[in-house]
Amino acid sequence: MNLQESWRLYRLINKNKSLSLKRHPLFEQNKIMKVFGYIFIGFWAVYLMLFGVMFAQVFDGTNYESFDRIDGSMLVFLVIDFYMRFTMQETPAQDTKPYKLMPIPQRFLLNVFLLRIGLSTANLFWGFFFVPFGLLAVVKFYGWMGYIGFLFGWWLMFVLNSYWYLIWRTLIQRNLLFLLIPTAIYAALFYFGIFHDESNTWLFDYTVQLGRGFCTGNVLCYLLPIVLTVILFFINRKMQYRSVYREIAQVEHVTHVRSLEMSWLNRFGTIGEYMKLEIKSTMRNKIVRNQFIMGVCYMLLFCALFAFTDVYDSQPFMRTFICVYCFACLGTMTLTSVMCVEGNYIDLLMSRHESVLSLLKAKYYFNCLMLIFPMLFALLPIFNGKVLWVEALACAFFTMGCVFPFLFQLAVYNKYTLHMNQKVTRSNTRSSKTQIIFSFVALFVPMFIMYALIALLDTATASWILLGLGLTGFLLNPLWLRNIYHRFMARRYDNMEGFRSSRE
Amino acid sequence: MELSLENVRKTFGEKVALDIDTYVVHDGEIVGLVGNNGAGKTTMFRVILDLIRPDSGVARIGGIATAHSEDWKVSTGAYVDTGFLIDYLTPEEYFDFLGKINHISSTDLQQRLQQFDHFMNGEVVGTKTLIRNLSAGNKQKVGIIGAMLHQPQLLILDEPFNFLDPSSQHAMKYLLENYNRETGATIIVSSHNLTHTLDICTRITLLEHGHIIKDHSKDYANLTVEIEEYFIHN
Repeated sequence: MNLQESWRLYRLINKNKSLSLKRHPLFEQNKIMKVFGYIFIGFWAVYLMLFGVMFAQVFDGTNYESFDRIDGSMLVFLVIDFYMRFTMQETPAQDTKPYKLMPIPQRFLLNVFLLRIGLSTANLFWGFFFVPFGLLAVVKFYGWMGYIGFLFGWWLMFVLNSYWYLIWRTLIQRNLLFLLIPTAIYAALFYFGIFHDESNTWLFDYTVQLGRGFCTGNVLCYLLPIVLTVILFFINRKMQYRSVYREIAQVEHVTHVRSLEMSWLNRFGTIGEYMKLEIKSTMRNKIVRNQFIMGVCYMLLFCALFAFTDVYDSQPFMRTFICVYCFACLGTMTLTSVMCVEGNYIDLLMSRHESVLSLLKAKYYFNCLMLIFPMLFALLPIFNGKVLWVEALACAFFTMGCVFPFLFQLAVYNKYTLHMNQKVTRSNTRSSKTQIIFSFVALFVPMFIMYALIALLDTATASWILLGLGLTGFLLNPLWLRNIYHRFMARRYDNMEGFRSSRE
Repeated sequence: MELSLENVRKTFGEKVALDIDTYVVHDGEIVGLVGNNGAGKTTMFRVILDLIRPDSGVARIGGIATAHSEDWKVSTGAYVDTGFLIDYLTPEEYFDFLGKINHISSTDLQQRLQQFDHFMNGEVVGTKTLIRNLSAGNKQKVGIIGAMLHQPQLLILDEPFNFLDPSSQHAMKYLLENYNRETGATIIVSSHNLTHTLDICTRITLLEHGHIIKDHSKDYANLTVEIEEYFIHN
């Protein structure tokens, strides 16, 4: 393939990729979400620029110049960048599938998609920090050429990071446990490079030298990230190549699926059957399982903070805040996409009498049952006298009777299908504006109510009030669930159209 | 179970997908809905099953307007596409789930499933495979059995012969005829397979661009010739 032909194909594939984004079923629906996205990026851009200006001046008069301090913290930047990419960067294996049978060399296709990742504007995001920072901290020592070299060097590091991330992202798609490996590598680097022996500053010194090399135009310093990027590019190409075949020839380990009886749920009749569905969906669908595991991890983190540490013991507000989160975080994470999984078989649900109502009831009881776990964790601080029993009980009931009913409103508005067993790509997990607003309210409003009540009354009285509110909401669940069901049915055609168009 | 459509019209943008003044399917009929792609067969099914909103008109099952009540759902079974399958269940779990929500006892469920033994041909149950990992043909079988399991008085199947191997297609024909004979249920199937449709149906309705252009009972002398001629020239 000659250069001209390669360039033509490169442009064509780029065009197709842009069209696929523009013509996504959620593109039109999410215009406001895009505005939110731009506001979010704008907010961070301003934030980073402020940091850039601040860090350029804060280290004046110390042994190291500001740029040395920043270069010396290179690992911190790269680690933050690595984890941030989980919300932004996709893997290209899926993109190449439609071209599989076309007369385009597979390796050329992968090169195009990998190049797109390296040349992505996302790798320039940190420029909001480094451009003002370098302007104030680098120009006065190394001049404009040094400044350009500094920016170029850092950009190379972020490009390198994008390919490093891509390797782990591909592996994580196979198994979530792969996330532990880069985390362990970073932990080891931090431990042996910084915390293990404070007098031994090899990591700091090394990155400072690298950063100075960028400013002085030392070719070797540029060559290092370039060579590493090329190596990672080819490793990625090989991995993605295999990944394409793996996905096409994907035969799940299906030979012996264990049939789950769960006969203890039979006593709950139809609702019990839908609860079984909920459990099986969580166990057997990759994306639902990962969402649940993440939720449980957050829940355990808050529970551990609550039960085993005394960091917030002296601050009643923060203690209550953590207590609310122990109970609310799992539900918030899973219920924001309520009905999205069911979008896969919405026609079945809609052709059975009141099955959506039974499903909603089952989901509600299932989520209420899950609150047993944070309640068990809460027993420890209750026995230690760190928290009142009524306080923990109030948080549990407030979640059941107020937070959950609020989140369940999303059953009326959610109308995109979550592809249950596909990879966790950005396009598959993107949230609507309504979901973002609801999860934000679900996480923060209880906290403000708590805060207001504690400020006005004492903790015990505030807890009794919350307990009363929660208990009322819980006891009224048949009413508000039916109300949600009726509103869902009123919007059913719109919702079904949305589910269908995002499923096909 | 009688089914009727009155002044039903559905458009997608400029395109008329369905435009029917009056159409009645009588109790116990087996109706074959035929037509080329885009004729409006699936749209008609979706309107009947209240899965899409018609621009105007009303669909009734047993006299109940499907858009205004859910009572018709108890006596209706349908399989249109994989949106009717819960693909993370095994076929046994799926049938068990449908059995429970339709209040069928385990013993009755097993007996009813036995009637489908020949149709399943040992490839559906007992394989310990999730529905999503079954072949397209076996998924189709699961969906069809799921629609028939609660013995509905109205059975709607969209392209039931699709993806099925020749043996299963014959089993399918026998199954539908037998089901109609034993239960007196009304059956509507759409299909591109004219031979099978003409074999089993007591009435054939031909759709073109959303309009009914021919609607004859099997007794009509020129039925086969007219239908075949239509497809040769269109």
